[in-house]
Amino acid sequence: MIGKSVPMLDALARVTGEVDYMVNLRLPNMLVGKIVRSQSPHAKLLKVDTTNALQVSGVVAILTGADLGANAFYGAAIKDQGVVAVDRVRYVGEPVAAIAAENEDVAEEAAMLLDIEYEELPSVFDAQEAIQSGAPTLHEKYPNNIFIHSKLRHGDMDAAFAEADEIFEDTFTSPLAQQSSLEPHVTAAQWDGDQLTVWAGTQAPYMVRRVLSENFGISQEKIRVVVPSLGGSYGGKGHIRIEPLVAAMSRKTNGRPVKFLLSRAEEFVTVTKHAASITLKTGVKRDGTFTARQVTVYWNGGAYADASPLLVPQGMVRAVGPYRIPAVHVDSYGVYTNLPPAGAYRGAMSSQATWAYESQMDIIARKMGFDPLEFRLKNLFVSGDHFATGETLHDVHFVDCLEASAKAMNPSTSLRAKVGRGYGVMMKSTVSTSKSQARMSLADDGKVTLFTSTVEMGQGAHTAMAQIAAESLRIPFEMVRVVGPDTNVTPFDSTTSASRTTNMMGNAVIAAGTSLKRKLIELAAPLLEIPSEELLAENGKVFAKETSISYAEILKRNNLNSLEETGEYSTASKMDPETGQGKATPHWHQGAGAAEVEVDTETGHVTILRYTSAAFAGRVVNPHLAQLQNDGNVIFGLGPTLMEEMILDGGQVTNPNLADYAIPSIRDIPLELISVCIESDEQELHGIGEMTLPPVAPAIANAIEDAIGVRIKDLPITAEKILHALQEKSKP
Amino acid sequence: MILNVNGSRHEVKAEARMLLDILREDLNLVGTKEGCGVGMCGACTVLVDGKPFSSCHLLAEQVTGKEITTIEGLSRDGNLHPVQQAFLDKGAFQCAYCTPGFVLTTIALLNENPSPSDNEIREYLSGNLCRCGSYQNILQAVKAASEMI
Ligand code: FES
Ligand code: FES
Repeated sequence: MIGKSVPMLDALARVTGEVDYMVNLRLPNMLVGKIVRSQSPHAKLLKVDTTNALQVSGVVAILTGADLGANAFYGAAIKDQGVVAVDRVRYVGEPVAAIAAENEDVAEEAAMLLDIEYEELPSVFDAQEAIQSGAPTLHEKYPNNIFIHSKLRHGDMDAAFAEADEIFEDTFTSPLAQQSSLEPHVTAAQWDGDQLTVWAGTQAPYMVRRVLSENFGISQEKIRVVVPSLGGSYGGKGHIRIEPLVAAMSRKTNGRPVKFLLSRAEEFVTVTKHAASITLKTGVKRDGTFTARQVTVYWNGGAYADASPLLVPQGMVRAVGPYRIPAVHVDSYGVYTNLPPAGAYRGAMSSQATWAYESQMDIIARKMGFDPLEFRLKNLFVSGDHFATGETLHDVHFVDCLEASAKAMNPSTSLRAKVGRGYGVMMKSTVSTSKSQARMSLADDGKVTLFTSTVEMGQGAHTAMAQIAAESLRIPFEMVRVVGPDTNVTPFDSTTSASRTTNMMGNAVIAAGTSLKRKLIELAAPLLEIPSEELLAENGKVFAKETSISYAEILKRNNLNSLEETGEYSTASKMDPETGQGKATPHWHQGAGAAEVEVDTETGHVTILRYTSAAFAGRVVNPHLAQLQNDGNVIFGLGPTLMEEMILDGGQVTNPNLADYAIPSIRDIPLELISVCIESDEQELHGIGEMTLPPVAPAIANAIEDAIGVRIKDLPITAEKILHALQEKSKP
Repeated sequence: MILNVNGSRHEVKAEARMLLDILREDLNLVGTKEGCGVGMCGACTVLVDGKPFSSCHLLAEQVTGKEITTIEGLSRDGNLHPVQQAFLDKGAFQCAYCTPGFVLTTIALLNENPSPSDNEIREYLSGNLCRCGSYQNILQAVKAASEMI
């Protein structure tokens, strides 16, 4: 079953428009929720007067900071964000109040009648400006606005740089960008006494449950979080977002449920990709080996820490690159500014980091006269090498990934003028410490239900998990159905993110299936009068040479309606906080890409003629779904590479819509796109949700330099930037 | 005001409302999705007398007397429309939020041009966005559908 291209479980509903997304949710007596947002980037909140707004007929309740009491603040890691603003606002778009009303028009009218008064404070939008002395402080606890500083210290830098023949220092930047799932954030909540039900478009139902329980001071068992299929997420619905606001609002509506559905413009102020500035100082010897690398990264976290304290340490290890470098120091700073909070954006932190280190690889190769492909192959990690955290690397396939991408590119053929080739390789950690549980229940009709809190968001995870369940329990795929997530019914899972599901939940499912199979064999032994050691299971039956009994029959003969088992898989990795030494991740994500582009030097337009990507998958569960994910990564990656950038004016997003903020259309995709999965003898299951994304930007920038001799260091690579660089180059 | 949707007549409240909202809220035809609300993503595509339109951009009164087709109006006697079948065969979706819009735009394309070239497909479908990036499979599905029809 593993390795087969079965269609998604609900493929039919997907072509008939019948998937039940959050946007479709309707509950009896449901109210419409609306958020009233700050117009100021940084201000004291002097007054939020609801008197007039509450007079509007059809307004049921209004939530303000005054309602919140002791538990006003929340956050995935640092509780710095008001459920709605309490006495201060820190970005344009921050929730100041929420309204629950009979319909949207009423909510709209009430919003206009809220009387809000601000006293403006100085604001700061750039991370490197925010850490200067004299910059306005956002949170008193972090006077210099640095809320996290992750450090990696490996080797003697001075000595290592002294050994270098050449030292390169370059800075690469990535702007603020928007995840832009077509389905926005949607959440509904309803209280029944002290019991809370939340229907949430989230990637992390159990995190939502934990944070809500802390916020409301009620036990987790009193909270139920239900997650339907998502219309895309890409990190944007990871961690915790509007759920506390929605739950707090619905606490004031006498048991009536309230549903919040964000507008596209609101999406842009709810979560963003981290804007980043990355400086790499790299020492290289004439023989093409490295001596040292010093990395300094400023992640613009926006006004609230959100997921950043979890992501910035990952951003530190993800910033090093997949090459043997004896001495490495990294400083990774998470910085508060008066912008919307940043969170995971598909290929989180890795995209910004790979943009930097893979761009610099070509700068070095060109300057020192190395072939960019050879230079990479020579230095890429192989199994048994040590990473800068000190950990030994296993099952390493960077070379395979790069060679597979390059081979499909046919590098021996020569190119026409203004056509160039470029490469990129990525190395990414996954969530370092996490846990997945899965429960499998066999009914006496032989059908199996897999209970899992893995979120289906288009990646096909439920289908892949059903395949793994079928294989581990030795039953036909058609016999498996998948239920969840629903925290009242489906067991614990840390999160559906960081490409961890196939590996973590996959192994939990295998554990559940394997012990269920073992139980069935034990129950069958007395029925068949054959010792269990001599029995095998296949195709829904336990059998020995001549005889067999179906799983359904085993249950019936034992008077059992059902039989179930839970499997668990967990990992724990730890790094020393001062030196970053230790273990960063249970395994590393590995991917590569190769681009062939043509640049129109009159217009600056870049055409991607061919793109080949490769991802290390260990063992592919579903080749069709894997191809969709890998292609999808490349296409998603073209956005930040060539077009995506949130434009800001005084902290206000000026292009918060899909007319002025372009995302890739079918016209933008490569004329030829090939995706390859690399498998290994170890046959471990790996996620592939992101691997082929981060190499896209540097591969294309490197191909552009190969084509026309200009180097762009600031994303996105717009036609305007290319024309400008060409102009600069032609200056005497 | 009367709207003809998927072959039935519906009496709806005559106020200045977008067709998308009437379809989703009044008629419970929730297969049509809102992605951008400004005519840029195609998630809300419906056919009006066989031509694709963004229903987030159309006032209901602009389409009275015309025949409106949504994703719910495509299958006949339990059989998928050939374009839906092609999308199913090629697995041309991930989250599928964009799929109804792509299916309807493809039907309109193939009505106008039964065997479009790659370029013509790219051009015609460029108003439909798929953030999951399922475009390669969508291209294959459109070609497969053009052979089926
Ligand atoms: S919602 Fe109508 S085009 Fe996007
Ligand atoms: S399949 Fe998700 S947007 Fe197209």
